[in-house]
Amino acid sequence: MRIENCYFCSSRIYPGHGIQFVRNDCKVFKFCRPKCHAAFKKKKNPRKVKWTKAYRKTVGKELAIDPVFEFEKRRDQPLKYDRELWQKTVEAMKRIEGIRQRRQGVYVMQRLRKARELERDSDVKEVQRNMELIKSPAAGLKERKAMEESIVEVTHESDNEMELDEEDRQELVEV
Amino acid sequence: MPGPYKRKKYHFGDTHLKKRWRTKRRTKDLDEIDHDINHKAEPLLNQEIDVDRPGNAQFYCLHCARYFISEEAMKDHFRTKVHKRRLKALELEPYSIEESERAAGMGSYIAPKKRKMQTQPLKSEESTAKRSDDDGDDIMDDLNKDSK
Repeated sequence: MRIENCYFCSSRIYPGHGIQFVRNDCKVFKFCRPKCHAAFKKKKNPRKVKWTKAYRKTVGKELAIDPVFEFEKRRDQPLKYDRELWQKTVEAMKRIEGIRQRRQGVYVMQRLRKARELERDSDVKEVQRNMELIKSPAAGLKERKAMEESIVEVTHESDNEMELDEEDRQELVEV
Repeated sequence: MPGPYKRKKYHFGDTHLKKRWRTKRRTKDLDEIDHDINHKAEPLLNQEIDVDRPGNAQFYCLHCARYFISEEAMKDHFRTKVHKRRLKALELEPYSIEESERAAGMGSYIAPKKRKMQTQPLKSEESTAKRSDDDGDDIMDDLNKDSK
């Protein structure tokens, strides 16, 4: 008895559950439920179906590369029962699972934190792009125009003064 | 006023869809084709005459796992969307049972690699290319080497 993995969604298959398909090249495909079996028959790609483990790992939603994953293996050698070994193994399994869960949690939190930053950036961009919805571009247009006119007048006056000054200087030079 | 009875059937069911998925009509999976390309390309492309196959099994598309009746038909097939889509699908390494186990947590999940996929050369093109190679240049080169 062994807990198998589903070919399509990679979930566990407990004894007495699921269905298996043996292809004509002797490869055995195991499925946890009719949903996965039907998807396989339709030749869907598990990497592109969002509810599978393969999708979540290829897209980077879950922790994919880590030494924690190196413990679980398919061991085909039968072992003679040894009480001490059995107890130790169970203990190790629990500890490894704990470590895995913690690392996975950290990974997910980091991912989400990055999303917050991106969200903030996109919000700022949206506000800048749609500034006219918050403040009308016509607001204060008249006042601004009046201001500009007054500035122009002032500069004109100063220009006249400068010209006068220059004439005076020339006269002085002649004298 | 009683009219004629409705004769038209509006619902066709899904048997015509399900027929495609039956194991009887099962075509090769992408991972099988990938295995063919890497390990069995030579024997598949140069098959012996088999009267039961279309075109006596002389025109086989490796990527689509299909037989064609003539070289012309195969050439037309290479220009179709079906073939191009298949090439694109084979660019990424196909999904396998081992990958499903890795996704389940047995070993680190390695992302599939991308590679180049090219349509196989047609037989006539291959033979002409060979002929151009065998037009005596090799022999001349050999002779030159010997003389040196």
